[in-house]
Amino acid sequence: MAQAAVAPPKTSSDLIARFGGIPLAWVGVLPFFLFALLFLVLPSLSLFTGSFTAADGNFTLQNILDLSRPDIVSAYTLSIQISVVTAVLGALFGFFIAYALVMTGVPGPVRTSMVTACGVASNFAGVPLAFAFVAALGRTGFITQFLRDTFNYNIYDHGFNLYSFLGLSLTYLYFQFPLMVLVMMPALEGLKREWREASQNLGASSFQYWRYVALPILMPSILGTMILLFGNAFGAYATAYALTGGRLQLVTIQIGAQIRGDVLHNPGLGYAMALGMVVIMAVSILAYTWLQRRAARWLQ
Amino acid sequence: MKALARVLPIMAVVLIALAIMACAPAAQPTAAPPTAAPQPTAVPPTTAPQPTTAPQPTSAPAQPTQAPSGGATDMDALYQAAKAEGMLTTIALPHDWCNYGGVIDGFKKKYPGITVNELNPDAGSGDEIEAIKANKDNKGPQAPDVVDVGFAFGDSGKADGLFMPYKVATWNDIPDSAKDPDGYWYGDYYGVMSFMVNSDVIKNPPQDWADLLKPEYKSAVGMSGDPRTSNQAIQTVQGAALAMGGTVADPTKGLEFFAQMNQAGNLVPLIANNASVAKGETPIRITWDYNALAGRDSMNGNPKVDVIVPKSGRIAGVYVQAISAYAPHPNAAKLWMEYLYSDEGQLIWLAPPGYCHPIRQDAMDKAGKIPADLKAKLPSTEGAVFPSNADLIAGKDVVVKNWDKVVGADIKSGQ
Amino acid sequence: MKRSTVWGWFWVILGVLYLVIPLWGAFDFSLRAERDVIGFAAYARAFADDDFWRTFIFSNQMALISIVISVLLIVLTAYWVQLKLPQLRPIVEFITLLPFVIPAIILVFGYIKLYSRPLAVGPISLLPPLTNTDFSTNILLVAGYVVLALPYMYRSVDNGLRAIDVRTLTEAAQSLGANWITIMFRIIMPNLRAALLSGALLTFAIVVGELTIATFLGRPAFGPYLQLLGQHKAYEPAALSIASFLLTWGAMILIYFVTRGTETQTTGAH
Repeated sequence: MAQAAVAPPKTSSDLIARFGGIPLAWVGVLPFFLFALLFLVLPSLSLFTGSFTAADGNFTLQNILDLSRPDIVSAYTLSIQISVVTAVLGALFGFFIAYALVMTGVPGPVRTSMVTACGVASNFAGVPLAFAFVAALGRTGFITQFLRDTFNYNIYDHGFNLYSFLGLSLTYLYFQFPLMVLVMMPALEGLKREWREASQNLGASSFQYWRYVALPILMPSILGTMILLFGNAFGAYATAYALTGGRLQLVTIQIGAQIRGDVLHNPGLGYAMALGMVVIMAVSILAYTWLQRRAARWLQ
Repeated sequence: MKALARVLPIMAVVLIALAIMACAPAAQPTAAPPTAAPQPTAVPPTTAPQPTTAPQPTSAPAQPTQAPSGGATDMDALYQAAKAEGMLTTIALPHDWCNYGGVIDGFKKKYPGITVNELNPDAGSGDEIEAIKANKDNKGPQAPDVVDVGFAFGDSGKADGLFMPYKVATWNDIPDSAKDPDGYWYGDYYGVMSFMVNSDVIKNPPQDWADLLKPEYKSAVGMSGDPRTSNQAIQTVQGAALAMGGTVADPTKGLEFFAQMNQAGNLVPLIANNASVAKGETPIRITWDYNALAGRDSMNGNPKVDVIVPKSGRIAGVYVQAISAYAPHPNAAKLWMEYLYSDEGQLIWLAPPGYCHPIRQDAMDKAGKIPADLKAKLPSTEGAVFPSNADLIAGKDVVVKNWDKVVGADIKSGQ
Repeated sequence: MKRSTVWGWFWVILGVLYLVIPLWGAFDFSLRAERDVIGFAAYARAFADDDFWRTFIFSNQMALISIVISVLLIVLTAYWVQLKLPQLRPIVEFITLLPFVIPAIILVFGYIKLYSRPLAVGPISLLPPLTNTDFSTNILLVAGYVVLALPYMYRSVDNGLRAIDVRTLTEAAQSLGANWITIMFRIIMPNLRAALLSGALLTFAIVVGELTIATFLGRPAFGPYLQLLGQHKAYEPAALSIASFLLTWGAMILIYFVTRGTETQTTGAH
């Protein structure tokens, strides 16, 4: 990991080597690591130490062992499920919207409004979002009432329930797909028109253009953004609590209960669960890195 | 240089923004912590001197400051000492909860010269305790001076050395069951679990716990919190248990009651608040009576709200006050406590829109200090059970461990 | 082109519907604050409050500062990793994703514990306690915001960097005698306009809505104000969330135009 040698550059770059000798190469990332140390890692050390602390203050491994309790394992499973589902769906929906905004003939003002609206929506979460969905799709929501009064179709009688996995996923998507739109737009704007024209000149169909030119170029960005969406959903708390508190067992709600609850709990267990989440994020980064290499190979 | 020309605008923006920030009138002047001995303007001539020198601990918690219990506290000296400190930092006091807004205003009016710095009105008791712990060495405005926490946190806070003992002038009026004998924590107000009903939607409001199971209340009932984390929700289950023949310490009957309610389709998983009651999504909300009454008033008839204390299963919830052992402004904290437990403070909690039963209610009633019209505004809470700390904690364990098993359907997909 | 425009509109309209419908529900509810009257009473009450504007402006200021610092930090780092230290990429990405899994409350309590004491190396005090004055607490606040925005800013900038040929641009600029500052500010950043815009918008949204860090640091931000008001009232919270959505949207449109500004491309990359 601490290799000082820079990977040999693909193109000849004596100029870069002249300015960026081996030790100097690390200077550029020093501010970031320093910042991360001071304001991210050090303040969060209590997370690490707290995981090994029992309620009475002594060292213990019990918290970590408790992570294998069936209710905690199912909490992780559920959190991962909802994060994956909303990451994939949000990525798809967001990609198409970003594509529509960048590459089709949608007029400027529409594009501006949509991009900025996505910006606001990407962070619209918690109690306001939960309430908005209740006001739309709850039993007394205006969509529910509209469908019932106009088409005599009560979605709740047909199995729909906002206070469920499906309902929470729909709610999460509200901030997932705008995030995808915002983060993918720079990548899509980087697709040069000349490439599209060149491929057309060579007789490639639209599908072939996407399959052989555009998607391979975009794949690292798409995958990276999907990991972002996964993490976004994984760490979400307020929305789930407001909408389904007491029903859905998500890890973040459990952690909140242990650390912040109104009733005495075991904060050590909360820290251990948060540590578990850190591990899961690390694993997903590894998975994504591997997937990216695979995809690059496949798409070539 | 061209490069510099590029950088300059950005630097300018940053500098201007920083300048605005630095020059903006500070909303809460950060009072420098009193250095060494603040000069008391009036040294109290009474026997037990008011310790105006707040020991600034680096490691050891503050020396217990024993004010004479129930005796002559020199309020003037306390006020001067508090004024010298200049600020009181509170936490978790929403203005609409027991009319804390009115209490804070009253305090400011009676004792000018002390800024009230309000932290995080949305904090739960756990947050408040964590805030004390995190701010042990911090004398800045982020450190809370006083806390208002759930009953169970009284003993645990004392055991962790987080509180400073203090006995207010009216100490003897506080029932023994609601205070720590050494003065580390003391009950402040209580309420009884009730039903807040949107009577525009529910034409026939439920009168007791058992009514909630009726089919006419399908998809109507909401709890005010998550029973795995919220004190209010857990005591809801315990209240139901009392009505169903169980006890506070063993609320299994309450869990079964809610399981039944869930099966019947009456329970809505949404965390109920006033908005969801008004919307009609949870037209019946189970909450403390003071929340329900304050909510009814704030909605002002839109919609019409009935507040019903169930006939059986009346459970009282007591909250407790405490002064942080690391309080940067201990004298202001003590002054605040004196105000809260004075007749004036207790009545503000009682009067609308507070609707909270002050802990000194019985004593004040006997002394004829409660106006009859105020008493009439509160619903009858006869027969309410005041659970002990041990019972509450035992019951909480049962609820938290078993809620998902007994009541919750494990939501996997669609459902 | 025709067909793709039709598809374009299809997706945009779908997106608009998804965004608007839940908001409409809340908006409709907020208009009913007075019995049997559809009106803006709840909004009037909300906007009449001085604290509303005071906290909104404060959060806007903090957001702008956070954006600037975040941009400077992330562009430098992402650029460096892309160009010189690709082997560090997984580590950097892991760090940028940490804010998702570290609860904000642990972060803020960590700040308080660490920075309420002077930062000292031996007997030498490097930094005074940061929690004692408004200005220094704001530094902690901005640091917290930058941390929270890390994942989004990094991903945007990284996507943007992948779309331009960083190596060629850098080499060309260096062969023309440019130094690092010139390369950074006159070559790279202008080409990252779209990415920086996305990152800026996301950071802005995060800061204006942020709750935990601002409340525990005791700063008068917009998020805690909304939370306080929304606690026990029925109609005002819905009115406030719609109002803050619209106000934030307006501020973002301003940022958009400032950033997009003149679309001059400095190199032939486009």
